[in-house]
Amino acid sequence: MAGQSDPHVSLFSAEEVEFIAEDEMVEIVPNMTIERLNFISGDFGPFLPLTVNQVPLWLAVALKKRGKCAIRPPHWMSVENLTKVLEEERDSQGAFQALPFHYVEISRLLFDHAREDIPDIYLVRSLIEDIRDVRLHKVETSLEKFSGTSAVKIPNLSAMEVNIIRPFVGRALQAFYKHDNPEKIPDIDRVSSGQSRVANSEPPRRPLRR
Amino acid sequence: MASYYDIDDILTEEELVPVVFHKAANGVIIDPSSETNSVEQGAKVELPLWLAQELHWRQAVSISAPPCFNQKTRLEIQADAACVDLRSRCPYFYEFGCKILPLVGDKTIEILLLSAFKIRYKETLTKAYTAAYTATSKVLTLLTREETNLYEAAQSSMAAFKKWRMGGPRLQRASVLGRKRKPVN
Repeated sequence: MAGQSDPHVSLFSAEEVEFIAEDEMVEIVPNMTIERLNFISGDFGPFLPLTVNQVPLWLAVALKKRGKCAIRPPHWMSVENLTKVLEEERDSQGAFQALPFHYVEISRLLFDHAREDIPDIYLVRSLIEDIRDVRLHKVETSLEKFSGTSAVKIPNLSAMEVNIIRPFVGRALQAFYKHDNPEKIPDIDRVSSGQSRVANSEPPRRPLRR
Repeated sequence: MASYYDIDDILTEEELVPVVFHKAANGVIIDPSSETNSVEQGAKVELPLWLAQELHWRQAVSISAPPCFNQKTRLEIQADAACVDLRSRCPYFYEFGCKILPLVGDKTIEILLLSAFKIRYKETLTKAYTAAYTATSKVLTLLTREETNLYEAAQSSMAAFKKWRMGGPRLQRASVLGRKRKPVN
């Protein structure tokens, strides 16, 4: 899957990340009796009307499309929780709030396929978009702090956010590594004569910097 | 890392460096304007890096810092690295710098490269994620090859995300299906 789309753009395309997100479990409330469903990824059901079942998102969307169930929005997708998260995102400059790893993809799939199951959908949607914009802006500002090779730790970053910055950050860190440690460029060990000895005789620099 | 067939690596080695010959060489046409087919001892010529490097290892020439690392450029980079037009000076500024470093034996180039990259990296980052696509052509003319790659990586991943967010047809039609049947004669 990875790298099948366009090798130059990114390791995963946005659609591929969405595909991975479809394995997340959601709760559904079936409105009819369905027998046990056997899939490669596992067995689900049997489904009885008005009893809550845990199924993967892809199955939930498939059943929803056929009008056989209602999807229960996840707990984090409530207006109170999202308002709280948004406020905390705005208040804390560096840190990211804990949200599900696939919150961008799950919310989009639910908005597309289960509009009527989400209470206050317009408010929820705009809250999630605000949160996403605030977080993306924060990612960019935290990327600005790079100055040299160092371990980068950004906790609570979601799958889609990582996927957006992956090609850029990968290249940038590689470039920083190269310029921070010129002694490690492979060509150098071939150079053994003349002035180059001066350049090589110094002690190796500390590989990690802050 | 650079591989043998890496086109950027090959082009980097095409950049000219000024060298001084320690030995006279006969039967070579390095300077087309010279009258004889030989190079005298102490002659100053510009050679591509790949040739200069090999001659340097054989102790035939000594290499001095190429013009894109001269004092004037250094001062400009110190003043404001983000505004220097590095592309016109040397499109492979960083790679070239890394390659020339052990040959010239000038440690200040290393510091120059790192500081220039640090400052220009920030500039590239802000432009890549925030600037509108129309405003980019002016920025792109200043960037070196490596920075352009960075910039395009950032832009295309952001564009892909926006496209996904907007939605649209989920399934793409296979190109085979759209083809019309050939008329039968």
